Amino acid sequence: MSAPAGDPDASSVRVLVADDDADIRDLVEFKLTQAGYAVEAVPDGISAWEAFAANPPQLAVLDVMMPGLSGIDVLRKIRESEHASVPVLLLSAKSRDSDVDTGFAVGADDYVIKPFSPRELLHRVNGMLARAR
Amino acid sequence: MIVGGALLIGATIAVLGGGLLLVLAVVTVRSRRRSRNQRDQMLLSPLRVPLITVASGEDDDGSAAEQLTWATGVTRTVLDSNIVELLTKIRGGPGDQLIRVLEVHGAVDAAVSDLTHRSSVRRARAAQLLGLARADHTVPLLVEALSDESVEVRNSAAYALGLIGDPSAAGAVLAAIGAPDRGLPAATAAEALQSMGVGISEVLREGMRDDNARTRMVAAHLSGERSFTRGLPELRHLLDHDTDLTVRETAATAIGRLGRDEDAAVLSRHTVPTEPLSLRRACVHALGELGDDTAVPTLAALLDDPDPRLAELAASALLVLGPGGGAALAGHEDDPAVRTARLMASLQKANA
Repeated sequence: MSAPAGDPDASSVRVLVADDDADIRDLVEFKLTQAGYAVEAVPDGISAWEAFAANPPQLAVLDVMMPGLSGIDVLRKIRESEHASVPVLLLSAKSRDSDVDTGFAVGADDYVIKPFSPRELLHRVNGMLARAR
Repeated sequence: MIVGGALLIGATIAVLGGGLLLVLAVVTVRSRRRSRNQRDQMLLSPLRVPLITVASGEDDDGSAAEQLTWATGVTRTVLDSNIVELLTKIRGGPGDQLIRVLEVHGAVDAAVSDLTHRSSVRRARAAQLLGLARADHTVPLLVEALSDESVEVRNSAAYALGLIGDPSAAGAVLAAIGAPDRGLPAATAAEALQSMGVGISEVLREGMRDDNARTRMVAAHLSGERSFTRGLPELRHLLDHDTDLTVRETAATAIGRLGRDEDAAVLSRHTVPTEPLSLRRACVHALGELGDDTAVPTLAALLDDPDPRLAELAASALLVLGPGGGAALAGHEDDPAVRTARLMASLQKANA
């Protein structure tokens, strides 16, 4: 699966991935790296917020249930920051309508429910970045 | 006095000794778990890259999956367990590739044998694996496992049948809810049935005529959730005549979701004060969901009901019934029920 069409230098596009599940973190990092993105992967919400604040990425993929700060908490902080427009995709096993509603209400641009298709996730990331440009 | 003091000292020593033993046991268990995890990670580390390559869908030529099939002995056992865990997190092509690895390892065949293992933990794990591996040829075995003596195995079998999604198992899952002594929890059954697609509507209609109230409740709930309008006659019958109050409430909610305009009259009949309060509330809420403005007079009359929650539900329903509903609220704007309903509506709008 290649990087977004028409992007001459996808590696300049930075994506932050935060998930406390090493399997998910590794496979999302691998998938996005293979697609040409520069990925920073972190294992919890606090590291995610620190990484975001230190060097805001072009897009963030956040797990919802993480120790310390949840993905929703991190998203809230992002939306209150000076980089509020960075697209955020929430990735979660929480699949009830109310969970999805909460994610979008706090400001998520997309919400992917686990178990998920890595291919579909990449399509969504590509689409969000294309729309953000 | 001396005897009493000695007893006290003895008891203190016994308590301290017991506590010490408990701490030692916890430390030992944790230490064993840690070393087992370390061993597993060490065994898996050469396979981590091919595993992640397959799981991420980047194994275009199949070489990484092939590498995984070469694992043997303890490494294979640890790898298979990791693959089963991964199958709960990903789906699509990568999942299919990982299932093929499990098949080559013989894990699916082993799980079939384990379904009759004397350990209930092994039986439950086996059922889970068969579901995650979408082993549809094992549906009859999983149906049998729905009546296992262990509730964990029954839950696991239902979960597996839901993952496989074969509607031919729907009748067995629904019937398992009412099995004497070995019943399946209603929530587990409902979740499994949800995954079986549209082919279960007739099974649900039959379920609404079952002798067991929990079976009727699950069938009614799912008919509403899945918008199976063919079940409307049964739902109306349950609302009007069922002996179980929860079943009647569930039927009312389902009618609100999928009913016809004429169902406003059906629901309105059960909002009268002689009906149980919880049923009246369910019917009033359902009238709002149904959205037919012939319910306006019924709902308007309930704005003055002595039960504040019922009055608030009536106001909320009127708010969504268009100009007729709005007109009925005129003159009641200062009522606490109407104010609360408006506040809730604006909060929901803001959240949306």
